[in-house]
Amino acid sequence: MKEKHKVNWEKAMPFLFILPCVGILLAISIFPLIYSLWLSFNSWELAMGFPPEFIGVGNYIRLFLEPRFWNAMLNTGRVLLFGVGSQFLIGLAIAILLDKLIRGRTLITTLFLLPMVIAPVVVGCTWRQIYHYEYGPLNYILRGVNLSAIPWLSNPNFSLSSVIIGDTWEWTPFMMVVILAGLQSIPEELREAAAIDGASNWKIFTHVLLPLLKPVIIVAILIRVMDAFKLFDLVVLLTQGGPGESSETITYYNYLVGFKHFSLGYAAALSYIQLVVIIVIANFFLRFLRERETR
Amino acid sequence: MRKKVILVVSLAVFIVSLMGGTMLVQAAEKPVKLTVVGDAGHNQKPWEWYKKDFLKLYNVDLKIVGVPFAEVYEKEKIEFVTHTGAYDIVTFYPKYLGDFAGNGYLYPLDEFIAKLDPHLEDVTPGYRDFYCKYKGKIYALPYDGDILNLYYRKDLFENPEEKANFKAKYGYELRPPRTWKEYKDVAEFFTRKKGETLAGKVLQRDFYGTAFYGQRDWCWAWWGNRFASYGGVYFDEDTMEPMINSPAGVKALEDMIEIKKYCPPNVLAFGYEELKDAFLNGDTAMVIQWPCVGKKGADPAQSKIVGKIGVTTVPGVIKDGKLYRRAMMPCGRVLGIAKESEYPWKAYQVIWHVSYKTSMDDVSTAKTGLDPYRYSHFQHPEEYEMFSTIEAAKIYLEGVKSNMEVGYPELVIPGAEQYEDVLGRKITEALSGGKSAKQALDEVAKEWDKITNRFGREKQKQLYRNLVAGWRKAGLWK
Repeated sequence: MKEKHKVNWEKAMPFLFILPCVGILLAISIFPLIYSLWLSFNSWELAMGFPPEFIGVGNYIRLFLEPRFWNAMLNTGRVLLFGVGSQFLIGLAIAILLDKLIRGRTLITTLFLLPMVIAPVVVGCTWRQIYHYEYGPLNYILRGVNLSAIPWLSNPNFSLSSVIIGDTWEWTPFMMVVILAGLQSIPEELREAAAIDGASNWKIFTHVLLPLLKPVIIVAILIRVMDAFKLFDLVVLLTQGGPGESSETITYYNYLVGFKHFSLGYAAALSYIQLVVIIVIANFFLRFLRERETR
Repeated sequence: MRKKVILVVSLAVFIVSLMGGTMLVQAAEKPVKLTVVGDAGHNQKPWEWYKKDFLKLYNVDLKIVGVPFAEVYEKEKIEFVTHTGAYDIVTFYPKYLGDFAGNGYLYPLDEFIAKLDPHLEDVTPGYRDFYCKYKGKIYALPYDGDILNLYYRKDLFENPEEKANFKAKYGYELRPPRTWKEYKDVAEFFTRKKGETLAGKVLQRDFYGTAFYGQRDWCWAWWGNRFASYGGVYFDEDTMEPMINSPAGVKALEDMIEIKKYCPPNVLAFGYEELKDAFLNGDTAMVIQWPCVGKKGADPAQSKIVGKIGVTTVPGVIKDGKLYRRAMMPCGRVLGIAKESEYPWKAYQVIWHVSYKTSMDDVSTAKTGLDPYRYSHFQHPEEYEMFSTIEAAKIYLEGVKSNMEVGYPELVIPGAEQYEDVLGRKITEALSGGKSAKQALDEVAKEWDKITNRFGREKQKQLYRNLVAGWRKAGLWK
């Protein structure tokens, strides 16, 4: 009888060992996730001190009917398309050039990496100076070639572009270094074989290097897309989302709703929508990877 | 032997007395640790200056926490909501009084005031009654009396050549503008390109008639001066319908769109610093700004136009032969005590010290951005040492006072942050050409309605009515 109730310590021990870890994970990761999901179905206006009131999908309906939400999503889409797009193209070009470089590659790569390792706040402040209407170097150059100075941060036609340019400067090195690593991992023999077969440089790039780089590129773009979707620091430091709503990204909008207006239920719903969008985008990219593996 | 005994006894007495002294010191009250939070920078200087005094006078060891200007609300609110008790003394903008006092985050001060008088009768009614009181109780003491003023370049306005040219063009004397129409004329007149002449000198860079606060957080206040003088009010008191898109509001915004032509092209990126610098660097003929700009303008370390600044009432409109001017009272700072502070009395002594005892010194220096809010602050021009003469200080104080007499209060009901956010956002949209003035303000009205509904129309209406009743009593509302 006693034998039946005997604890099998050998089997239980691994579970006991991972229990603290699971507990911590539940407390700091899973609980907030579930709590914020519950919150997104409630109205909670903290400025008024109301207790949370269950309103079902009310916050989600309000969100989809809110033009400001769609404007922020559109601006974020522009950041992804033009920002990450140009980071990829410039990063790829620099990586190819550096791959061909034999002497000084390490030094130049290190120099190129500097924008990425600078604190984002410093990047924001630096670009704020660069864009300064009167004293900024950008307008100084424009005036020098007899062009009109541009109010980069206060004109709605330029404000988002200014944020994108700053983000591109900061994160192109990331693309560059990942693609460069990918290029250097491709065996030299493959290029040589293609060259012996009479392939031009362009053909070697498009038919040999690019297909082999595809997984690296997909992962690099995916990481950048996920990061750029959360673009916040440069928006705060350069434009605060203005003028009007011209440079308001979804994360900045979420911050305003959550931490300025303290509409906590609505802010939670907004966060969940962002999560869903990110998951959809991530799956889109990961499908490319899976397709490749299947082939 | 006897000598030895005397020596030992003396030594023993000395050691015992030393020990006793130490024990006495230990038995004395340990310094109380208090934390004050507020926007970082020049307005936190007084806390640093008097830190030692607080220790000596009140046995308070003060820790100073600075947060960015735009993040004061969220930092304080989060600590209040989560009951951390991180802050004992909170410096905040009075528009949050409804939120902070209404939600029970602040300690009512009436009982302390009865014990240690901060002489609130000396505080001008606008700051005393609306920025410190909530539902009849006092929750804060004033620290900074903000109001908008019209600053102009005296040297340019007095230049004979400029005066003659102005009269020839507009048919009346060049003077500090009294109406918005005159303001536009003066702004247009002084807007000149690099290479043109200004007061007999060839300009090395473009010169502008005026500028305003263009960033979306406070730009509504610059629109508000016009809105208020045109007779605008925030809400209908009976229905709580927004009145922001009334003809007064639309006209005010159309005026602002017009005046933008005479401002630096990047004016929509102007915050406090940029606006101050544009004027003090000598790039504009006029600006409407907070009182501290007058003080800083008299300090050669911060200004290139020392001695050339005039201060007067913001312009207005003439209705039935009478001139109506209203100056917005945006921002300002008050000091409250967190409900969860373990030492509210000690905290009160500290805020009493800066709000009453040292307030004259703090508002009369160019090292802070703190502005006068007590009648006594206006009675001692000799204290404002940054001005070259007492006469110059008097002119500055008279200018600020004239605006206080026509002050237009900021909305201080719960949700003020949301109402102002929408207003600022839509105003900048109209200013940047994205929308017409009417369209932008109609959208503001719609969003204000939604905010009111979310916060509870009846509750908000009652709070607004109480507020307006108070404003009326103080003569700040029609």
